[in-house]
Amino acid sequence: MGNCLKINSPDDISLLRGSESFSGQDGGPMPVYQHEPMTQVFYPTSSSSPDAADAGNRISEEEQIKIAKRIALVQHLPIGTYDGNSKKARECVICMVEFCVDEAVRYLPCMHIYHVHCIDDWLIRSLTCPSCLEPVDAALLTSYETT
Amino acid sequence: MANMAVSRIKREFKEVMRSEEIVQCSIKIELVNDSWTELRGEIAGPPDTPYEGGKFVLEIKVPETYPFNPPKVRFITRIWHPNISSVTGAICLDILKDNWAAAMTLRTVLLSLQALLAAAEPDDPQDAVVAYQFKDKHDLFVLTARHWTNAYAGGPTTFPDCDSKIQRLKDMGIDEHDARAVLSKENWNLEKATECLFS
Repeated sequence: MGNCLKINSPDDISLLRGSESFSGQDGGPMPVYQHEPMTQVFYPTSSSSPDAADAGNRISEEEQIKIAKRIALVQHLPIGTYDGNSKKARECVICMVEFCVDEAVRYLPCMHIYHVHCIDDWLIRSLTCPSCLEPVDAALLTSYETT
Repeated sequence: MANMAVSRIKREFKEVMRSEEIVQCSIKIELVNDSWTELRGEIAGPPDTPYEGGKFVLEIKVPETYPFNPPKVRFITRIWHPNISSVTGAICLDILKDNWAAAMTLRTVLLSLQALLAAAEPDDPQDAVVAYQFKDKHDLFVLTARHWTNAYAGGPTTFPDCDSKIQRLKDMGIDEHDARAVLSKENWNLEKATECLFS
């Protein structure tokens, strides 16, 4: 993210090119002129086109960020292996397929268990336990505080 | 994803078939096509409600993203109920929208709809006209709902007064269902219904 490195290609074309690809390719005689494109370009690339006047795009982008955050959150939920003799659910209520011994299952704070891929797909849509509707994020956040 | 939808529906289908409610003839389900994406449900009107004795048929469409998204359900049988459109059969029920959970099944959906028939929520209506009648003229609501149950769902109670008013409008060239709908909306006031139709 540096700027103002001394490289001698002071014409407008290289200025544009530099802002597209590398950070500090252009320097030269007109610092004021140079700063503007730099800042204008770097905002867009870091937060990807904020004022592109494209509302539809922005909503889906917000959603993408939300999903990314959720995926990160979900990764904190413990994964275990199914031990056939537990008294817990014998089948994953999402796909309705029985658990196999040693299969990876994810534990929710309410102790309901599901296939990892099944529950992850669900949690991306709704952060609640599909069986008891217990919110998952609240429990996760309190566990953050204690650790 | 689509595979999970189909395999789950197949399992659920078996579950419904084995359920007690099937034995009691209170709910029913059948396939519409071979791809398992559309089913037909049927629920019996709950006892001690205006829907008692009626059989209500439902269209159930299973989205590709099932069970992560709810099935799309609507009444095919016409019904007079605050949370169900008397025109399209569209249903206003939280579990079919935001409160859907992946652990719910076709069986629980049908049972929830049956429960909805027994406990309307007029403050969260799908059909404003019906909801208004439910709150404002409850006796007329019960009569109308029972009459619709008789006319469309095979319910036992006939209402000669309603039938004769409908006949009067039919004599004026109005389609039977349109006549029933307008009279229901106008609280069975023949004059107002006529005015509504011909003004």
